[in-house]
Amino acid sequence: MLTKFMAGIQGAFGPSILKSSVCNRNELYIDVEPERAPMICTYLCSELGYPLVSMFACDERELTNRFFVYYVFADRKNTKLVIIRVAVDPAKMEIRSLSGKVYAAARYEREIKDLFGIVPVGHHNPKRLVFHSNWPKGAYPLRKDYEISHRPDVARETIKFQKVRGEGVYEIPVGPVHAGIIEPGHFRFSVAGEPIINLEAQLYYTHKGIEKLCEGKSIEQCLYIAERISGDETFANSLAYCQAVEKIGDIRIPGRAQYTRVVFAELERLICHLGDLGGICLDTGYGFANGQFRMLRGWAYNIADELCGMRFLRSVNRIGGVRKDFIAGKEAVVIQLLKKLHTELTDTVGIIKSNSMFMDRVENTGILKTKTAGDLNAVGPGGRASGIGHDVRKDFPYEAYGELKLKIPVYYYGDVNCRMNVKIDECFQSLEMIISALESMPEGKITGQVGLLEPYRFSFGMTEAPRGENIHFVMTGENNTLLRYKIRTPSFCNWPALCVAVKGNIVPDFPLINKSFNLSYAGNDL
Amino acid sequence: MNYLIYMVLQITVIIVFAPLISGVIRKIKALSQKRKGAPVFQMYYDLHKLFRKTSVVSETSSWIFKAAPYVFFSTAVTAALLVPVSTLIPQPSSLPGDFIVMVSVLALGRFFMMLAGLDTGSTFGGMGSSREALISSLIEPSILVSLFTIALITGSTSLSRILFVVNSSENQLPLQVSILIFLALLVIIIAETARIPVDDPSTHLELTMVHEAMILEYSGRHLALMEYGAAVKQLTLITLLVNILLPFDGMISQTGMMAILLSLLFYAAKVLMAAVLIALIEINCVKLKLFSIPNLAALAFILSFVAFLQFFVLGGNHV
Repeated sequence: MLTKFMAGIQGAFGPSILKSSVCNRNELYIDVEPERAPMICTYLCSELGYPLVSMFACDERELTNRFFVYYVFADRKNTKLVIIRVAVDPAKMEIRSLSGKVYAAARYEREIKDLFGIVPVGHHNPKRLVFHSNWPKGAYPLRKDYEISHRPDVARETIKFQKVRGEGVYEIPVGPVHAGIIEPGHFRFSVAGEPIINLEAQLYYTHKGIEKLCEGKSIEQCLYIAERISGDETFANSLAYCQAVEKIGDIRIPGRAQYTRVVFAELERLICHLGDLGGICLDTGYGFANGQFRMLRGWAYNIADELCGMRFLRSVNRIGGVRKDFIAGKEAVVIQLLKKLHTELTDTVGIIKSNSMFMDRVENTGILKTKTAGDLNAVGPGGRASGIGHDVRKDFPYEAYGELKLKIPVYYYGDVNCRMNVKIDECFQSLEMIISALESMPEGKITGQVGLLEPYRFSFGMTEAPRGENIHFVMTGENNTLLRYKIRTPSFCNWPALCVAVKGNIVPDFPLINKSFNLSYAGNDL
Repeated sequence: MNYLIYMVLQITVIIVFAPLISGVIRKIKALSQKRKGAPVFQMYYDLHKLFRKTSVVSETSSWIFKAAPYVFFSTAVTAALLVPVSTLIPQPSSLPGDFIVMVSVLALGRFFMMLAGLDTGSTFGGMGSSREALISSLIEPSILVSLFTIALITGSTSLSRILFVVNSSENQLPLQVSILIFLALLVIIIAETARIPVDDPSTHLELTMVHEAMILEYSGRHLALMEYGAAVKQLTLITLLVNILLPFDGMISQTGMMAILLSLLFYAAKVLMAAVLIALIEINCVKLKLFSIPNLAALAFILSFVAFLQFFVLGGNHV
């Protein structure tokens, strides 16, 4: 299949293709002429309909004396990734911007510009993304020659927000410190009275340099870092990391470990969604329903505690499987707890859906149109509520998902109600899936054989985190270390979608729309 | 002498017990969420703490910011003195002021609160003030229409006179008017005291706040006065509701101290019932969309206006 596809590409763009290779069964790497890259990328995205799911640079000067920029396109129908690689000359440090053709590329290009200093020529808004006004010019931390311990001077650059002019238009700055116990982020609203004309989110207040931190660290150490990328997606992130490493090492995961991973991944989704549903209710002032969902979330946390002794699911995964046989002997107890949770959840959902005042709040609020969601590559519940029915569990089945029954809930209207419905449906689905995974769990070992990894190999790990498609790129260095680790969490894709969805709504509805997406700051800022 | 007794009783009852009502409502809400909740006396502890703390005042604010808490608190207390908690307390022969004064005095307090919200120049204060102006301008007509209906029936705009009439056994408000006015006043109280579905008193989301947004910049004793004033205003409005529409004093056959005590007990029970009712409404409702609040205000207005029309339909000859 891949060879046939490659032949088609060769036919269309033959002279611009320098080299192509297939790695890890479904990853097709194509090296192309830098000048022709935008054309090929546009062809993949617009003609073939492969969305740009990740884009990043890599400092490979020690190998080839070049920087490389990777454009990752996903063919979700045929379970393959097409990666376009473009070499960047260290003397020139430029690429041709793709943002005019593939809108989703805009933010990636800004990120690359900040972290590597590779300038996207022709970008419509080459404003800083990762760094704020206090970061000096010319300091590019992801270049290999930038010492991680180096502390740059505090600079006074200027960053301008988008201005909306007109009579009665004014700006509302909110954050970065908010009233609740939540993460920091600055929102700049341009409003005319209550309706929002424009929203610009300035994030990256929690930028910790995770990608830099992992470079040169051993494979095992990085697992701990991966678990701590975003507090409520611990398992999804560690799983994506493990998968990437396991693909490189060609490690076979025993069936029992695969099922165990499904149990924990779904449990994490359940916990996350129950928290979101509670948050949606709280933001409409529906204290009772919030209390219910909080309680249910507590029960789900207790199940996690019962299984692995760690409510936040850290230190469950290991490369090659899981750390322990967490499930053995606990099936009956857990299934009983899950059934109790199922009953109570059904009741609660019935109550909130029959409250007409509540439904009035969530319906028609924060609509994200299907076209916009597609252009921005909105993922997870945010995308599925707008008719983008993608789910890594179905498109790129991993672990035991191929063997379990899975129906992806898709809604089309894209308002808060649809996002809430997706999450409710997924809660029930996760409950059922955990039960069926527990019931059909095969016997056997829980870890595969793990040896030393070959240097300079790379691979993608993909999981469906509670918030959506989660893509980790791992490139190994010498002595079982990491050379490059690129994390693309679902929040990175959905933040721009949120900014679009709030336009035209009124200011007091923003917290509700925000909560219906419930994006991670830590997961975005890295 | 009468004047003094009246003042002392009014102040002890309304000013002292006002924070307790907020505590009761909060407790009931907490129980509905399977939480234990803060003790019902929590607001007293909070006020005690806040009164001892220094107030932080923004450098960019004017005297209005500092004056507003005092104005707001004193207008709330003034309004409280105009609504007798019991008709059996010896009344001053001519209590100055009627409900028109009461509504205007409360409006004055609110006006200063809105100015203070704008004064610091913070975004949230301005947003809160503009929303408060929207809501109060929609709610105020209904207060006046409902109280005028009662005034038409009882023949006086003075609240002590109104209460005297509704409590005398032969002249009671027609039931249908009572129900309509009761419902209208309930909506008004919810809007005036910034409760769900109009505003959420327990929210942490600045962007959705109305009342809380205006007092967001306050701290220390200024904040204490603002919160205390809001609690006093709340109990005053509840007193107005229960004493006009659930009169019991006429049934008391005892005289002297015993009668006053009994009447105050009845009063306490009625206020508690109203608090439970408000809490139940808060539990079962969610916050309305900001632009749906006019519909709720319209509902209150229609209820009071229908009651007003009833007066003419029924002949208007009840006194």
